[in-house]
Amino acid sequence: MAELSDITNEFIRDEIEEFVERENEKEQMIGLYVGVSDDLLKIAEALIEGEDELVDELTKAALDAGTPALTVMDDGLIAGMALVGIKFRENFIFVPEVLSCARAMKAGMAHIEPILSDAGVEPVAKVVMGTVKGDLHDIGKNLCIMMLRGAGFEVVDLGVDVSPDDFIDAVENEHPAVMGMSALLTTTMPNMGKTIDAFVDADLRDDIKIMVGGAPVTPEFAEDMGADGYGKDAMSAVSLAKQLAGAAASA
Amino acid sequence: MTATMTSRERVLAALAGEPVDQTPVINPTSVATVELMDLVDAPFPDANREPELMARLAATGHTELGFDAVMPVFSIIQESASMGAKMQWEQKDNWPTVKMTQPIYSRPEDINIDVDKVLSQPDAVCVPEAIKLLRKDLGEDVAIIGKSMGPWSQAYHTFGVEPFLLMSLDSEEKTRDILNRLKNLTIEYANQQFAAGADAVTLPDHATGDLVSGEYYHRYLEEMHQEFAERCNGPIILHICGRTVDRMPYIANTGMAAFHFDSKNTPQESMEAVGDGIRLVGNINNPTTLFSQGPEEVKAEVFANLDAGVQMVGPECACPLQTPIENLRAIPEAVAEWTAKHKH
Repeated sequence: MAELSDITNEFIRDEIEEFVERENEKEQMIGLYVGVSDDLLKIAEALIEGEDELVDELTKAALDAGTPALTVMDDGLIAGMALVGIKFRENFIFVPEVLSCARAMKAGMAHIEPILSDAGVEPVAKVVMGTVKGDLHDIGKNLCIMMLRGAGFEVVDLGVDVSPDDFIDAVENEHPAVMGMSALLTTTMPNMGKTIDAFVDADLRDDIKIMVGGAPVTPEFAEDMGADGYGKDAMSAVSLAKQLAGAAASA
Repeated sequence: MTATMTSRERVLAALAGEPVDQTPVINPTSVATVELMDLVDAPFPDANREPELMARLAATGHTELGFDAVMPVFSIIQESASMGAKMQWEQKDNWPTVKMTQPIYSRPEDINIDVDKVLSQPDAVCVPEAIKLLRKDLGEDVAIIGKSMGPWSQAYHTFGVEPFLLMSLDSEEKTRDILNRLKNLTIEYANQQFAAGADAVTLPDHATGDLVSGEYYHRYLEEMHQEFAERCNGPIILHICGRTVDRMPYIANTGMAAFHFDSKNTPQESMEAVGDGIRLVGNINNPTTLFSQGPEEVKAEVFANLDAGVQMVGPECACPLQTPIENLRAIPEAVAEWTAKHKH
C-alpha cells in the first residue's frame, strides 16, 4: 500500500499531513498523488497556492512536453482542487483563498479544455446550476460550481434570479444529468419547491435529478419539496452530484 | 415579578452593562413579517422607502410583539440604493436586494463619496425621518434602534462579493483603501440616526466565518470597528451572521456596546469567547425555529440564552418574512416566564 512518503513533492506531503484529518481521505489523497510526475505535482502545488500565472505557465509547459491533456487535468488540476476542497470544508481556508485557487484552475483549464473538446473527451457529467427566482445571491452557488468544475464536471451556470421556466428551458436545451438550485433567503427558499412543481407539471420531473442547497435549506425541507438530494456545502454538492449523475446514468 | 424599568431604560442599561429588571428583548436587524405588514397596511417594498410606512411597520415590534425596542430598517440597502447601486425592489413577500452581480465600482479610486449628498437621498433620509416619527408616536418609553452598514458589507454591495473577496487576498493595500473610503458614510449615517433620536445603532459588517477567517476580521476590521465605537455618538451593536466564535475575542476589544450573534454559535461558547468585553444579543434561530417550528421550541432557545447569561435576546438575524407572529411573541413571553422563575 502506498505511503505518504511515496509522494515526491514535499509541499503536497506537508499539505496532506497538516490538513487532511480523516483516514479514508488521507488514503484517497495519497492515491491521487503517488506516482504522479514532478511537473504535474508542481501544477497541483501552484493551484493550491492560488498562483494562477504559474499554473498557466506550468500547464502549458506540461502540454508542450507531450503530457496528455487529460492527465494534466486529472493529476495536476483536479488533484489540487481535491485538497483545496478538504481544506475549505474544514475551515483551514476560506472563500478568498478558494476563489484564488479556482482562478488558478481556470487558468490551467483554458489550455486543456480546447484539447479535450477537440478530442471529444466527455466530462464526468453535465450539471446546470442557478439561484432561484427572487434571490440575487450567488456566492454559494458559485463555490459549488467551482468545486464541481474542479472535480471534472461540465457546469452550465444559469446565474441568479432564475425562474422555473428558465430552469426547464435549460434542462431541455442542455440535457444535464443533474440540476442544482441554490437559495440564501428564507423568502426565496420556497421557490425551489415551486420549480420542482413546475417540472412535475411539465411532465419532466423523471428526466432530471435535482439537488438543492443554501444557508437556510435543511435536509428535511429538501425532502419535503421533492428534491433528490441536499448538499450541505460545496464539497457535499460534488459527492451528491456524482451520486445523482451515477443514478441518472443507470436509470 | 413586576417590571420596574421601562423598555427603553432596560435596553439602555443592558447595552451599558448595567443591572436590569429583566433581560430586554430586542431586534437589531428586523422582525418585519408579511402578517405585520398586513396588520398595519405597510407592505414591502414601500415600507423600506417611505418614512411613515417604515415607522408604522417598525412600531409593531413593540405594539404587536412586545419587544423592548423597535427597528425601522428592515433590510440592508438604504445606503447602497442611495449610492446608486442597482436594486431589485421586489414585492411584499421578499426583501429588496442590491444587484451585486452588477457592481458600481471596480477600483478603490472609483469611490468618491460625497457623504452629505448620499445621506440626502430619499432612501437614506427615510430612516432618520422614520426614527423621528417613532419617537413621537411611541414616546420616551420604547428604545429605537437604527442601522448603518459597515464598510465591509458596503464593499460587497458596490464591488460584488467575489471581486471584493479576491481583492482582499490579492492586495491588502487596495482593500484598506476601499474600507477607508467607505467608512465615513457608516459613521455619518449612524450619527444622523442618533441625532434623529435613535438610542442605539446596529452596524452590520458581514465578515462572517462563512466567508472569511477570524484572522481577516483582526487584520482588516478590528481597529476600524474601534474607531466606529469612538466616533459614533451612541451605543453600537455589531452584527455579523454565521459562525463567528473565532473572532469574538477580537470583537470584544472594539469598545462597541454589543454583538448580535448567530445561532451557529452556542450561547455558552459565545459568552465564554467574549468574556466581559462586550454584551451579547441573540440568538434565536430563524430558518428552523422561528420560521418552521412553534412557540415551545422558540421558548427553549430563549431559555438557553438566558441560562447562559446572554444580556439581550432576540432573533439571530432578520426574521423570515413568513415567520408566524405567535413565534415572535413567544420570545418576550419566555423572558417573562424565565424571570418569574429566577428572580423571586
